[in-house]
Amino acid sequence: MAVDFAGIVADNQSMVFSIAVRFLRDREGAEELAQDVFLQLYQKLREIESPAHATGWLRRAICHRCIDEARKRKLRPRIGLDAVPEPLAESRNPDLLLNERLRRMVEELPESARMVVLLRYQEDLDPGDIAEMLNMPVSTVKSQLHRSLAVLRGRLEKQEICR
Amino acid sequence: MNFDDELRAALQREPAPADFAARVLGKTTKTRALPLWRRPAALAIAAALALTALVPSAVYQYRQHRRAIEARDQLILALSIARVQLQQVRERIQHNTRHKI
Repeated sequence: MAVDFAGIVADNQSMVFSIAVRFLRDREGAEELAQDVFLQLYQKLREIESPAHATGWLRRAICHRCIDEARKRKLRPRIGLDAVPEPLAESRNPDLLLNERLRRMVEELPESARMVVLLRYQEDLDPGDIAEMLNMPVSTVKSQLHRSLAVLRGRLEKQEICR
Repeated sequence: MNFDDELRAALQREPAPADFAARVLGKTTKTRALPLWRRPAALAIAAALALTALVPSAVYQYRQHRRAIEARDQLILALSIARVQLQQVRERIQHNTRHKI
């Protein structure tokens, strides 16, 4: 079955870019990586059977590319402006402030836990799907989710008390 | 709203930069527009063909070289045998001449 590449890009650009930017915390690097993943898919387009297959392929590819990139960056640290948190403006909508605080706290989680949380809450995947995608046991995914939620709750409560 | 929902709300997908799709599609067009002789696959085929053309000639030259070495060795062996035989004949002649005197 022939798939429309332009349609695949339009439908999945937000998913691929969001995973990359939240995992890498660097917009420029995330955009580069996301483009690369789409070009990789373009070269394998003949193997893609349906739009759903393309979405799954892209999600898996961007997750693994992000993890590889993070490992490379540990060897060659690259600090972009995005890595420096913007000061929170007090006058903004409290929901938006909460969202921003939560996103920042997720970005501070260890790599593996961060990817698990992103796939669970951004992509709405089940622990079984996450385990398959990241090649790890379901029990590890569940325990990482459990621990990450506890850490995030704890940090949020601490921030609330300090405010 | 419980914590799970708060997280879901915070982690909603972010839109990609406005020109993202255009840039990806632009890069695929560039890949397609590469002239045949600059495509990696074409270069690989050309290199393979060049190798295929060069290999038989190299093998032929190597065999010729081996044959020449073998011929030279055989000639050296023949000359050394001839030298030994001539030496023996000379010794016999000298011996006979001494007896007659």
